[in-house]
Amino acid sequence: MSDENMLFITEDQLALNAIEDTAEVQTTKYLIFVSDELMFGLDANNVVEIITDHTITHLPMVPDYISGIINLRGQIIPILDIRLRMGKMPCEDCSIIVIDVDGTQAGILVDSVAKMVDVPQENILPMPSQNAQKLISGMCSLPEGGTMLVLDCDLLLHG
Amino acid sequence: MASGNDSILDMYLYETNTLLEQLDGIVLAAEQADTFSQDDVNEIFRIMHTIKGSSAMMEFNSMMTVAHRTEDMFFIIREKTMEAVPEQLRPELFDVMFQAIDFFRSEVEKVENGNPLSESIDTFVSKINSLMDKIQGGQGDAPAADAPEAPPEPAAQEDAGAPAAAMPKDPAYRYGLQVRFDEGCGMESLRAFMLTTAVRDSVVDFQFSPEDVETDSSTSDIIAEQGFFLWFRSAEERDGSIPAVTNAGSVREYEPVSLPAPAAPAAQEAPAAAQPPKKEEPKAPAAPPPAKSAGQPQQHAKESLISVNLSKLDQLMAVVSEIVITEAMVTASPDLKGLKLDLFTKSARDLRKLTDELQDVSMSLRMVPVSGTFQKMNRIVRDMSKKLGKRARLTLVGEDTEVDKTIVDSIGDPIMHIVRNSMDHGIESDEADRIARGKDPVGEIILSARHTGSEVIIEIHDDGGGVDCDAVLAKAIRQGLAYPDQDYSQKEILNFLMMPGFSTNTEVTEFSGRGVGMDVVKKNVEDVGGTVSISSDFGKGMTTTLKIPLTMAIMDGMEVSVGDSIFTIPINNIRSSTKVTAGEVIYDPARGEMMKFMDNFYPIIRAKNFFQLNGGCDEIEDGILIWVEAGEHSYCLFVDELLGEQQVVVKPLPGLVNTYNIKNYGISGCTILGDGNISIILDVANLFSAVQGRN
Repeated sequence: MSDENMLFITEDQLALNAIEDTAEVQTTKYLIFVSDELMFGLDANNVVEIITDHTITHLPMVPDYISGIINLRGQIIPILDIRLRMGKMPCEDCSIIVIDVDGTQAGILVDSVAKMVDVPQENILPMPSQNAQKLISGMCSLPEGGTMLVLDCDLLLHG
Repeated sequence: MASGNDSILDMYLYETNTLLEQLDGIVLAAEQADTFSQDDVNEIFRIMHTIKGSSAMMEFNSMMTVAHRTEDMFFIIREKTMEAVPEQLRPELFDVMFQAIDFFRSEVEKVENGNPLSESIDTFVSKINSLMDKIQGGQGDAPAADAPEAPPEPAAQEDAGAPAAAMPKDPAYRYGLQVRFDEGCGMESLRAFMLTTAVRDSVVDFQFSPEDVETDSSTSDIIAEQGFFLWFRSAEERDGSIPAVTNAGSVREYEPVSLPAPAAPAAQEAPAAAQPPKKEEPKAPAAPPPAKSAGQPQQHAKESLISVNLSKLDQLMAVVSEIVITEAMVTASPDLKGLKLDLFTKSARDLRKLTDELQDVSMSLRMVPVSGTFQKMNRIVRDMSKKLGKRARLTLVGEDTEVDKTIVDSIGDPIMHIVRNSMDHGIESDEADRIARGKDPVGEIILSARHTGSEVIIEIHDDGGGVDCDAVLAKAIRQGLAYPDQDYSQKEILNFLMMPGFSTNTEVTEFSGRGVGMDVVKKNVEDVGGTVSISSDFGKGMTTTLKIPLTMAIMDGMEVSVGDSIFTIPINNIRSSTKVTAGEVIYDPARGEMMKFMDNFYPIIRAKNFFQLNGGCDEIEDGILIWVEAGEHSYCLFVDELLGEQQVVVKPLPGLVNTYNIKNYGISGCTILGDGNISIILDVANLFSAVQGRN
């Protein structure tokens, strides 16, 4: 009995949600950073903070795109160099964006952090399939010009 | 199906596991003595009762049913004492108990893993039932004991809960039965009247209260509140009425109550709390009467203990570690250089003392005795000696040695593997062999634990056949692990036992022989920073030694620098350090460098080259040699500079970095230095293995 009721309620709510969805465009906040003159977007929900001037301790015996580890208030966080990860030359003066994906924290070395944008979800288009770049999950043109490549944090950490 | 939130489930699992361990211990000890003492029986009864109750609450029906039946069985044993169980039934009783424990364990495991519980418990329940029948049949000559319902001597009991109003009019009818109906079933008075009619079929002469149930419907409330009382002249008559009561509708539970015999007015009261209201079950024997011995056997010391979630302790440990580091950062701050601050220095010293104390206390919280792990081995030795037909006993030494909880958890499996190996391969299959060698026909396995400063040493010794080195070497050659034309020392041959895929037993048995034993042991122990070594005396037995650091969280380390990088080497591994000149270095044909210390030659490993670092000294005169030793490996590590000794808090490397397997390259973790920088902790043994692997 009660199970059936539950079922109806959820269905009703789902229907309600669907109506709301169409009424209000769902947008996602992205943090845009620049790396090698390309604009990348990171889902703002994954971003913890942006830090500069942190000493990175080099770790031996790891792939070179792992620049090392840092001590962020007692937590040891690995740092990934996004340029090296994409197979480019490392940059000199960089910022670190600390991201958190399902409890796993990591820092990304980027050239500079640009701004936050609100992007409607439907504006994000898939990558052309022949493109072999695996870390990008989509792309989107920004109203003020330029194109944002959406970086897939999950793939970055686990891929 | 697991209703209720996680914390209740956690409590349930914790409680049930603790009880099962306790039960295992009791049954094992009882099997040795071949009898259950009255205390044991009471304790088992209590444990089963608790498991039954909490399982019922969690709706784990299979466990509830088995616990219920076991409880029934021990109820009988409790009433009739162990004497009632004939000698020939006892092995079966112990077996059933062990099976019950295993059943509970497997069910608890299923709960832990979120799997559905087993449905088919009928065979096991019927096993218990048939054993119960046998126990009862075994003493049919005792007149009053032919039915489980047989009440004990009633004179000594009085149901403390029975209200004074519910008394029979005639004190001769002193054998009472308190019947309760389903809550909210309504019309209790009518149901009670129907019950009296039903009972009258079997027993003619009885009284009941309240009396006017037939005419006065207001008695319903009284019955709902206090229950309906039937009074009989004798216990036999009361027992005769029970089937009628059972078959009557809406009866929730019934409970025999007895008034003190007139001759014994000063009857002692059984603790009411010890008398659980029993759920009615048609085929179950009647509810247990309040037994005089049923009270809690003794007040357990548990009141002064609380159980804490391990993750909270981890959190505490993390915070304390941070405090230790921060304290060092504050008191050794570079800003203080050159200042003369008497008061500050004094306060800093006090702070230091307190943080040390805090660190000790928080570490001790995580320390638990190894006895729990050791006790489990009793069971394995028992089961295997039965299955393999080898007689063996397990002797435990130093089981109250305390180690970190995480370490206790991780050494359980290795110890179990080794004990199994000892039972399977170590102890001779033929007792005649043992006697011929002048040994006790009963094999012995000694499990010992002791502290040595910073390590705990666990030894598993058996007095079996020992390791046949020739056979091991032959097998190692067959497996391609050893080269036929090379000479091996005994130590090296024994190390083959710990190589992956090595198993000397030609037959794969249920317990061991798949060749995934000792290498897993080695890996598990190394994961907690320990080492395994085997020594053997052919014909006399073998000893496996596990050396495990007491705790992995905090250690003394030597900070060394290579170029810009700072490494920490555990102090325990360092034998000495020295400056050398190029002339002292000896070269082998492959330009490998060696150094002579105390009449022995040791290879030199240059940290800079090994880790492919950019900075650092190349000339041997500029740097310093550290002579390190770990397990069997001893060598010299060449670094730039010694920075000083420091107590460091070990932090694991982030998971992302760990996926690159850098542990195998001698990097075991990292630590935060006083100035906030990170130092990498070296694992001396793994580093050496990595260098060897590379050559």
